[in-house]
Amino acid sequence: MNINDFSAYKPTWCPGCGNWGIGIAIKTALAELKLKPSSFVAVFGIGCSGNGNDFLNANILHSLHGRAVPNAIGVKIANHNLPVFVFAGDGDCYGEGGNHLIHAARGNHDIKVIVHDNMVYGLTTGQAAPTANKGYKSKSTPAGIIEIPINPLALAITSGATFVAQAFAGNPASMIQILKQAIGHKGFSLINILQPCVSFNKINTYQYYLKNSYLLDNNYDPQNQEEALKKAMESTKEKFPLGVIYKIDKPTYTDQLTQLNQGALVNSKLTKNEAIFEEFR
Amino acid sequence: MNFLWKIGGEAGFGIVTTGSLFSKIAAKSGYYIFDFIQYPSLIRGGHNSFEALVSDEEVSNIKETIDFLVCLNKETLDLHKKRLTSSTYVIYDKNEFQVEGDYIKIMVPFSEILKRLNGQSIMKNTIALGASLAILGGELEILNKMLEKQFSDKPKETIQYNQKFAETGFNYIKTNYKDKIKQYLVRKEAQDKLVLTANDAFSLASIYADCKFYSAYPMTPASSVLSILASWQEKTGIVVRHAEDEIAAVNNVIGASFMGVRSSTGTSGGGFALMVESISYAGVSEIPLVIFLSQRPGPATGMPTWTEQGDLLFTVNAGHGEFPKIVLAPGDQEEMTELTIKAYNLADIYQTPIIVMSDMFLSESHKSIELEKIKKILIDNKIQRGKTIDNFSEEKYLRYKLTDDGISPRLIPGKSDIYYQANSYEHLEDGHSTEDNGMRKKQVDKRNKKIITYLNNEFKGPNIYGDLENADVVLVGWGSTKGPMIEAMKQIVSKKKIAVIHFSHVYPLNKEKVITNFKEGKRYILVENNSQGQFGKLLLQETGVEIKEKLLKYDGRMFYTEEIINYLL
Repeated sequence: MNINDFSAYKPTWCPGCGNWGIGIAIKTALAELKLKPSSFVAVFGIGCSGNGNDFLNANILHSLHGRAVPNAIGVKIANHNLPVFVFAGDGDCYGEGGNHLIHAARGNHDIKVIVHDNMVYGLTTGQAAPTANKGYKSKSTPAGIIEIPINPLALAITSGATFVAQAFAGNPASMIQILKQAIGHKGFSLINILQPCVSFNKINTYQYYLKNSYLLDNNYDPQNQEEALKKAMESTKEKFPLGVIYKIDKPTYTDQLTQLNQGALVNSKLTKNEAIFEEFR
Repeated sequence: MNFLWKIGGEAGFGIVTTGSLFSKIAAKSGYYIFDFIQYPSLIRGGHNSFEALVSDEEVSNIKETIDFLVCLNKETLDLHKKRLTSSTYVIYDKNEFQVEGDYIKIMVPFSEILKRLNGQSIMKNTIALGASLAILGGELEILNKMLEKQFSDKPKETIQYNQKFAETGFNYIKTNYKDKIKQYLVRKEAQDKLVLTANDAFSLASIYADCKFYSAYPMTPASSVLSILASWQEKTGIVVRHAEDEIAAVNNVIGASFMGVRSSTGTSGGGFALMVESISYAGVSEIPLVIFLSQRPGPATGMPTWTEQGDLLFTVNAGHGEFPKIVLAPGDQEEMTELTIKAYNLADIYQTPIIVMSDMFLSESHKSIELEKIKKILIDNKIQRGKTIDNFSEEKYLRYKLTDDGISPRLIPGKSDIYYQANSYEHLEDGHSTEDNGMRKKQVDKRNKKIITYLNNEFKGPNIYGDLENADVVLVGWGSTKGPMIEAMKQIVSKKKIAVIHFSHVYPLNKEKVITNFKEGKRYILVENNSQGQFGKLLLQETGVEIKEKLLKYDGRMFYTEEIINYLL
């Protein structure tokens, strides 16, 4: 497999959009790990990132805005042998579908949630996203957004995610490494990818992230939850650590379903024993 | 022979459990039952009651006149005075309150027995069951066996201790009210029966239909499906997820169903409202979806523990945009078993949302049905997966291929080297998003064709009860009013030429198969448990048949047989 095996239609993203880099990094990671388009499932949200559905060769479920995560949970329960990915934006995953993210993390559902975080709603032409910094002016927040930004990394860590990472669309090499580690991890994984929106966000640009992000050094221990939370909280000071912030091994949701011990649910046979009639007599 | 037995008492003291036990005892004694529970939306402090109609013949209704009323507190008597007659037996404890009025008074010293046997107040129920069984001419042994079953995981002493209360109540009647004993529950040979609510029936049928995944959020009166199926995970292999909300539940199901696993979710009106966007999503992406919708009175939180058929038009219209959807409304527990199995088949055949409607009256009422009948429905059922396939070896696989019947082969992802996308956007035949005007129209037409295919193949016209040809008066209803309508018909058929038309396949409607049942010169009366005659509107819209006369009830209670009869006479 090489990355072209995963390439479907030519992307329609804006020239210079961070999605281009993310798209290539995803395909590279898939190819390097020798996955085939038919051997995994990708659930896409709705937004500019969601439009990636037509640019990737894979088993794809193109969901509703905000509902990719609950779809992915169902997909994984149905056939837990296949890797399951979610590709969604910040508005989709932290706004409309925020509740699902928390509960998917709690269950350690083995899905890789890759969030394209550009702090704006690109596809609806630039309204503030839940990750926008306080005071960010947009069409929907002309006087500056009153709310403080959500902290996706801290939210995921405290909700039970077992793999939490941050990448930057302008650093493909580290992005590929992070994605490969996420694919190798068993359990709920959130990969927040900082991604400049060249059309609508004139503040959080490539230059902004180059200046404010840094790679975690090799001595950093992602298994220490307290340290991970400290790293996650740095974004409140507009500092963005890149790399695997938190990683711990724990049984996944499907690991704990004894019904799946014999294999995938899609291939299983229910036991239809007349003994269940007894409770109605 | 038929009689109505009712028990009432303070909420939180096991009235519902006791009632269900009574229904099972009556069924085991060889009789048919239909029961109904009434309880407020709280756990302690209100009044709970349970009533069962017991008969020699199959029943699926409740009558208004109470023949035996067991009052565990004074409130039970006060709440039911207008349903009592001079031949009603009132069973009570005179040490707790006095009963005025012209009834047959049966005094049982509940509190004294409790004190003597050192029992907790919940055991009043067991004394009352023993006493009831005695006054009805039933056998104590059946109750004792039920108690053994109920406490089968407890030590022998616990069982014997509980049986002591039953026996004391039973013997008290035998000793003190010998002359008042009726011979109603005398044990007789009869076929084995199951005592099922519609929720039990949906759960059982789901297992036999191969539903391997159920995801839901608790909401009365649908919640028991979640707890029943959850309790069967180990026994059957089904996976049950208690989701964070109804939107998650329906989307879990869509995800699993996309992957080829038969799945469903269940809820009531409020939760269903949250699922509506996803119903539209399943419609366009052509993913099989089964939703169990048990109605309760709305709007909003409404009256959570009562009954209404108020969500029909909402259900029929649920989901933005235009797409095929099939709505089934079984009339009783047996039909629920049959149509649940059919719903899963239809979902796979038509690759679209199927909604099975119930309401609190069906969902929480037990009906006795012969075991053999249920077994026949469950075991003889054929799983039909339509055009679902594991592999595809012809030309290029097209998920949304344009076909004459509107249905395209649906490949289960992950089973072959073929990959494709299912899309919530309008799409090309291969699944990729499109905004092309030509393909848009073709895909809309393709999806609409499924409605025609369904109406020609699986749609079933209304069931007719009685002699429709010669009837002057015809009751028309859908869903849970079936039992009350048929029973009313039976009771007045000697006085009136009457028939019943009952719809279980409520949407879409095949005009030709429906209008033949509506003729000039008859008096058609729409019987619905709502205030706007919603099925009447739907019938007019879909077939042009207009029913002007309406008997509507929307106080949160189901129709008593007498209410329909009194309206007609």
